[in-house]
Amino acid sequence: MIIKSVASTSGYGSGKAFRLCRGDAAGTHVMSIDEAFKAERERLSVLSVENDIFAAHLEILDDPMLSDAIEEHLAGGENPLEAVASACDDIVSMFSSIDDEYLRARVDDVKDVCRNIESRLAGNFSGSLDIPEGSVVVADEIFPSDTSRMDLSKVSAFVTRKGSVTSHVCIIATSRGIPVALGVDIDMIADGDNLIVNGNAGEVAVNPTEDELSKLAERRIVNESESEIIQEPVEYQGHIVNVYGNAGCVEDVAKAMAAGADGIGRFRTEVVFMRSEEFPTEEEQFEIYRDAALLCGDKPLTIRTMDIGGDKKMPYLSTEPEDNPFLGVRGVRLCLANPGLFKIQLRAILRAGSYGNVRILVPMVTTSAEIDRVRVLIEECKGELSAEGKEFDNSIPVGAMVETPASVFAGRAIAEKVEFFSIGTNDLTQYIMAADRGNSGVSILYNPKDIAVKNAVEVIVANAHEAGIKAGICGEAASDPEFAEFLLEAGIDSLSLSDPRMIPVTKRLIRR
Amino acid sequence: MTTEKVVVTAPNGLHARPVGEIVRIAKSFPDSAVTITSGEKTVKATSMLSILSLGLKKGTEVEIRAEGGDEAGAVNAIVNLIQSVTE
Repeated sequence: MIIKSVASTSGYGSGKAFRLCRGDAAGTHVMSIDEAFKAERERLSVLSVENDIFAAHLEILDDPMLSDAIEEHLAGGENPLEAVASACDDIVSMFSSIDDEYLRARVDDVKDVCRNIESRLAGNFSGSLDIPEGSVVVADEIFPSDTSRMDLSKVSAFVTRKGSVTSHVCIIATSRGIPVALGVDIDMIADGDNLIVNGNAGEVAVNPTEDELSKLAERRIVNESESEIIQEPVEYQGHIVNVYGNAGCVEDVAKAMAAGADGIGRFRTEVVFMRSEEFPTEEEQFEIYRDAALLCGDKPLTIRTMDIGGDKKMPYLSTEPEDNPFLGVRGVRLCLANPGLFKIQLRAILRAGSYGNVRILVPMVTTSAEIDRVRVLIEECKGELSAEGKEFDNSIPVGAMVETPASVFAGRAIAEKVEFFSIGTNDLTQYIMAADRGNSGVSILYNPKDIAVKNAVEVIVANAHEAGIKAGICGEAASDPEFAEFLLEAGIDSLSLSDPRMIPVTKRLIRR
Repeated sequence: MTTEKVVVTAPNGLHARPVGEIVRIAKSFPDSAVTITSGEKTVKATSMLSILSLGLKKGTEVEIRAEGGDEAGAVNAIVNLIQSVTE
């Protein structure tokens, strides 16, 4: 039997199903609520020393809101298991309706804490999950406390009913090359079933028959030969389409280049900034950018300037709390509001430019005037660096991230002022569709393949080509083969992919 | 029992950090039961999640109430904190 998943991350994994179950044994409980709380408190106290996630869990466990809600349900005649589950539901639904970023971010933590209490009540909690080698972990939903209790080297795939590709488990799993199939009807899977997870096709085979096995094996061989690396750029209908990698650190750059990337289409610098409490110095930044540039050789390294803001806050940036952070001071707006810090970054990038083919990418551009202001700052930096006798790239290309509706409609004016365009599909989709990408209530609307987004992409590419510059795309959607076909038809000049394994696959797709 | 009313003056209301401070203060008065009332809702001052769920914006009047040992000290400390939040 083959079950389709709603979403998945790439890769293959097979093994015996290992079901993580929550305490759902109706009414049977082996310890009291007080004992369960005490045991969880002890476990979390130890874990919280090393990990802030568990410090937050400990705070929730000890918050009277949770214990009061449980007591209320117990008084209403529910058994302890039901009371914890009901209290959890109450708190989650209340938090989801309150306009407070902090509370909304705590929803998963509340669920995680309550679920562990329930498992303890039902007597099926274990501090470390003893997962047999080569298991496929099957669960309703996987939380940070689950992955912390697993030996991930024994997990060959995850299969869940809930969750999204941006959830914690997917990030952890992808970084270890473990495929995740999401949105799967896990009622069809029993503990110990033989499973084969094909993350590339979004399929889970349950106890496959001989026939299904040989078909799967064939498909896998085809897929594996498809991962052969192609170093040279490929053409689509006589037109070179570069396949770049996205990166957040020097290691990512190395992985992408090893997979045959034509360069780096988006080097995110937030990671560089989020590492420390202090704003990283020019030297610290320069060393990172220089190392990345050296790894790229003569291929482009596109460094996106600080795109902090929105939901990410930095201790050294005194940003006012905003009612609508995604419509607030973020991207280039934040850069221009903090010219002192921005210039430190620009100086570091300009200097790294003398070690390779470095390009500057300006995030969240709304008007061409913003580009003018960035260029004034770049010229100031160049003047300072010359006066100091430091080497830098005097003709560094500057590009604009096109991800706001304004930059679609004012695209011609912006295109006249930059050397290239890069479409950020994640934010473009969010702003065009007016749908928060983290809000599952509008996830149907958050669709990069919607005709509205596709039309916007066509306008952006046309704007760029009329001005004689190139338009590329970076964002998760570029990894979707169907969407990639559309982009190629629309005349896109480059695709920048987050998953290095997709680089050879995409090059082959373009050539075909 | 000691009560005192105070208006939130922080331009962006009371967010996670100042609320965390309130909880720390309330817990440092273990002999007093301290509550915060906004409109119809009364919550324990030792519950960060409950206080945040009140969604205290600038201009909201809240009542701080304490009962038990050093109740005046507890109310005073929390009122002072709320008045001093400027972020």
